[in-house]
Amino acid sequence: MRTAKCLASAALVVWALGASPAAAAGQRIQLTGEIMDTWCYVSEIMGASEAVLGTAHHQCAVWCAAGGVPVGLLSEAGEIFMILKLGDEDTSNAGPRILEIQSSRVTVDGDLYERDGIKYLLIDEVVANEGIVNRSHEDFGVIPAFGVPKQ
Amino acid sequence: MRKLLLILASVLLPVRIAGVEAAQSWNVTGEEEARFEAKVVDILCELTGDCPTDCGAGRRQLGLVTDDGVLIPVTKNFAPFAGATDELIDFCQQRVTVDGLFTANHGTRVFAVQFVQPAGGDWRRANRFLDKWAETNGVDPAGKAKNTWFRRDPRIDAIIEKDGFLGLGQEEDKKYLADY
Repeated sequence: MRTAKCLASAALVVWALGASPAAAAGQRIQLTGEIMDTWCYVSEIMGASEAVLGTAHHQCAVWCAAGGVPVGLLSEAGEIFMILKLGDEDTSNAGPRILEIQSSRVTVDGDLYERDGIKYLLIDEVVANEGIVNRSHEDFGVIPAFGVPKQ
Repeated sequence: MRKLLLILASVLLPVRIAGVEAAQSWNVTGEEEARFEAKVVDILCELTGDCPTDCGAGRRQLGLVTDDGVLIPVTKNFAPFAGATDELIDFCQQRVTVDGLFTANHGTRVFAVQFVQPAGGDWRRANRFLDKWAETNGVDPAGKAKNTWFRRDPRIDAIIEKDGFLGLGQEEDKKYLADY
């Protein structure tokens, strides 16, 4: 009986230390959309949101991702999903894999978590990668313009 | 572009109000200046219960949980093109006061931290990313080169060299530059 009480107490302590009170299971989801820079898209600090997607903003998106700005997936429905995990790599701060797929149109399988109005995405697998298909530079040029190399 | 110039200028010209640092407007969409107390959290931990004791030691995105339990993602710091993890990681699971800007658009509201103050500590500007980057990349942290880190970062250079600044390859870059 004493052993059972000890085990129960230990389990309670482990649960209390290891789990956030808010932790919950994610919702399985498959999404298709563009990998994007959440800060520039939301803030429009460089220009209108549609100008900071695709080729026009690719270089800036790489800068921001390398600097640790959260990378997102913009779904076909126009919703923003903040990516916290990609495959078996949990380096959501400037992780190498997320840098490689900036601005690409992808289809992913993963888990969706939603809290306080923000959608968070834990990607298990990129099941399709069409590469960069949004040729936004044809409409907007390069954003920011100082990203164009001097000739 | 004007907004970006304002930010670059603000990095060099800190504002002081009543002896403490105060947020500067960046004129972003849905902007709201804010100073509040909150606990620094690892967002992945907060959502899933996967909780390393060190908040991921800088590998994970960090957020703030307010006293009423609201989780706020902190997506930006006070340095060009950089996020907030390096500014908050020292205070994992600790209470801080932050000063900065909310931006809200497309149904998403996130925070840019400009200054942070640990409980009982001094305010500090949220640009530690630059010193850390300089240290990692062998650049003089006292020099100006770190302010344009994004033009000197070897990881970025390798990607742009491979894919071009448009991401479509060097040939597409050449076509663009020919018409520029």
